[in-house]
Amino acid sequence: MNTGTLRRVVLSINNISKTFPGGITAIEEINLDLYEGEIVALLGENGSGKSTLVKILYGVYTPDSGEIKILTGDKLSRVNFGNPVDAMKHGIILVNQTPQLIDKLSVAENIAITLSTLRSRDHSGFTSISETSKLLKEVSESTGIRVDPNEKAYNLTYSQKQFIELLRAIIVNAKIFLLDEALSYLPIAEKKRFYDILYSLKNSGKTVLLITHKIQEAFDLSDRIVILRKGRIVGVLETKNTTVDEVRRLMFGETNNKYIINNNWSNPEEEHVIEVEDLAVRDDHGREVLSNITFCVGKGEIAGIIGVAGSGQRELVESIVGLRKPIRGKITLAGVDVVRKGIKAVREAGVGYIPDQPLKQGIACDNSIVENIAIMFSSNPILINWDIVKEKAVEIVKNYNVQSKSIDSPVKTLSGGNIMKVIIGKELSYAKQALIACNPTRALDELSANNLVSVLKYKAHAEKLSVLIASEDIDEVLTISDAVYVLNSGRLIGPFQPSKVPRERIEELMVA
Amino acid sequence: MKITILKRKKELKYGAVIASLLSILFGITIYLVIIGLFGVNLVEAINILGKSFISPTIMKDFLIIYVMGCGLLLSFKASLWNIGGEGQFYIAMIPGIVITLLLFNPETSSTTVPAFIVVLLVIITGSVVGAVWAAVAGTLKAFMNIDEVPVTLILNYIAYYLVNHLVSGPLKGKKTYGYLRTDEIPGIYRLNIILPITRTGNQFEEAVYSFLTQVSYYIALLVTAIAISVFTWWLFKYTKLGLYIKIMGSNPEYLYATGVNTKMLTLLIMALSGSIIGLSGSLYLLVEWGRIPYGIQSHTPGYGYLAILASWLSMLDHRLLPVSAYLVAGLRNTGLSIKIAGLGDTEQTLIILGSVLLGYSITRFIADYEVKIR
Repeated sequence: MNTGTLRRVVLSINNISKTFPGGITAIEEINLDLYEGEIVALLGENGSGKSTLVKILYGVYTPDSGEIKILTGDKLSRVNFGNPVDAMKHGIILVNQTPQLIDKLSVAENIAITLSTLRSRDHSGFTSISETSKLLKEVSESTGIRVDPNEKAYNLTYSQKQFIELLRAIIVNAKIFLLDEALSYLPIAEKKRFYDILYSLKNSGKTVLLITHKIQEAFDLSDRIVILRKGRIVGVLETKNTTVDEVRRLMFGETNNKYIINNNWSNPEEEHVIEVEDLAVRDDHGREVLSNITFCVGKGEIAGIIGVAGSGQRELVESIVGLRKPIRGKITLAGVDVVRKGIKAVREAGVGYIPDQPLKQGIACDNSIVENIAIMFSSNPILINWDIVKEKAVEIVKNYNVQSKSIDSPVKTLSGGNIMKVIIGKELSYAKQALIACNPTRALDELSANNLVSVLKYKAHAEKLSVLIASEDIDEVLTISDAVYVLNSGRLIGPFQPSKVPRERIEELMVA
Repeated sequence: MKITILKRKKELKYGAVIASLLSILFGITIYLVIIGLFGVNLVEAINILGKSFISPTIMKDFLIIYVMGCGLLLSFKASLWNIGGEGQFYIAMIPGIVITLLLFNPETSSTTVPAFIVVLLVIITGSVVGAVWAAVAGTLKAFMNIDEVPVTLILNYIAYYLVNHLVSGPLKGKKTYGYLRTDEIPGIYRLNIILPITRTGNQFEEAVYSFLTQVSYYIALLVTAIAISVFTWWLFKYTKLGLYIKIMGSNPEYLYATGVNTKMLTLLIMALSGSIIGLSGSLYLLVEWGRIPYGIQSHTPGYGYLAILASWLSMLDHRLLPVSAYLVAGLRNTGLSIKIAGLGDTEQTLIILGSVLLGYSITRFIADYEVKIR
């Protein structure tokens, strides 16, 4: 590879392996060099070991074997990270899919904490808020991202928070930027601005490792694509010399005919299964985030609600299933008066629910897969028939391709994508009348996401399941929905028929 | 050089059992070193320790701590920290003493209600009162989100003072020779089987006989312990409630999102925990005390707290609870023996308990983690 002869290696990963308790091998003998001034995309299906590798590079996990070397001065030196602060001190910083800002603090306070933590390790003192504000101003001017250092983090949108995370990485003078699905939920316009900043970082000699399950994103941004499969690197490709099909083949070992989704739109029946009338809802901080929301979803219809992160999707789905008390309005779901009867009656009516916060409301990670499934599939009010439940668990694990050693394995031993598959599998199997979902394909690789879309379409059109999906992913909503609504600043606009309205118009409405 | 600590990929075979045994050895060794420094005869101390753990007198404490431990384990597994075993244990004795004394006519030494029904009534009401006492904390937790730890702890003191007030007032005995205590429960309601004293001259035979004497005397406790043990196993293995308890302990929000009424569940778990402890209280009255003395809290070693220790030592694993309950009962017995032998006060056992806990933390760490030097 000629890249290596021109530029210096800044990070060298040699024979890194990691096996988790329970004998689950996450990554095995990973060898990879990252060069200065390049963007590398790390692709892989769910459970391929992407997140494990990133967490090792960021000092969250310790590898079982192998070594990491970092360019210090003119030579590569071996490093052992005990925690993320060690990694940051060596110039590595991670920007996650979920912003890590403390909501109650201002932007400057949030960044001052990081700077002070790093400086306390060097015994070089505390970083004041005014000093941080000054640094923020400088970086803000050089990147073109306008920031008010005194703004409280809870007042920021998702995109603003992600930009702050990036600015924080620049302020701490990171050399290697690990972006773990950090761009996944940015609207197109913001994503393009993010791309511009990453290009300028690259041009100034910084290195970016972009972890994504979106193949197109890898092609848009990277110089090289590294593909992980079952914990091993199966391909390191020059982006300009490869194709999407080649990448897919390496990622999944399958041909491209599985990626075509049948877009036959259904004709929903007149009967409404989900009815929302004049709904107003508060968020966790007590602010009214939704008002005058009125819509309905017919039997066998898939309705998609699209909006940028923080538009109120989470609050909307939580209200619809009865987990959040609305200020006013009426919700009828599968014949249940939700406001009066709550979640119990909703669930008993055969409604599946995929929450926005899957680890909080969707699964119990300390319990086994089968226990998580048993809680929903045991009809006897007192006893559990484990034979029936185990059969169901095996069926879900098989149908949704959950990669796990056994159905008795604790959920916490699974990768993020496989945990999502368990949640989706059990909720889709449970749903008989309706499914309410928030960002269901988040954390799923392309193949799994497409499988989910196919299953959802089949369930809606053949089994007459009514589906409501709230999402920040415009592709997801446009691919899956029979009717699309846009949620912007707490107001609902629509419905639109996806085939009849241009994507650009939807994007405009999202950010207008 | 960097020290790295990693969780073991495979659990050590018999790790939990070995950790428990090693922690006992560790605790005893530390204890012996400390008392040795104070000039205590170590040979005598070891002799007492050994005898305390195999003495038949350990039976009562073991059974009570085990039954109460099962009750506490139910709530602990749901992350509901019922620290109020003491209060639930004592308050459950009140209906027992009221029922037995009311239904028995001391003038004629007779009763119109069959004895087994009275005993059953005592046990049921004891369980109900224990459940209600724990449910107070459960209600506050479920509906007002008030932490159950201080509430159950405060309820212990309320129970102490309430029982003492009743014993020195409305329930004060008439045939107590001036002592502040209730009258004694009539013998027909006592649940002991008393074997005659037998001396054979053969040490081994006498030891076996002594053991059988204890077993028969506390047969009601033994039967209850076996029944509660089977119930706990069945609950966690086959019932929905058992699964709810486990998931409540790891993610109550998920449980709520599946449609389970977690408020009522909180209340139910606390009540169930209290009812088992209440059951042990009423049995203790029928089997051991036969009356309630004034200053109730100073007449037992604090079973409510010892049961917490046993429950935690078992790592909330009901299969290990008999081992930890036996260990705690053995140490309590050791304390008494040390005092009788004049080697020190019963508080010395706290040194062993503390050292065993420290040893347990260390051995569990070694069993669960491996340390690598890089």
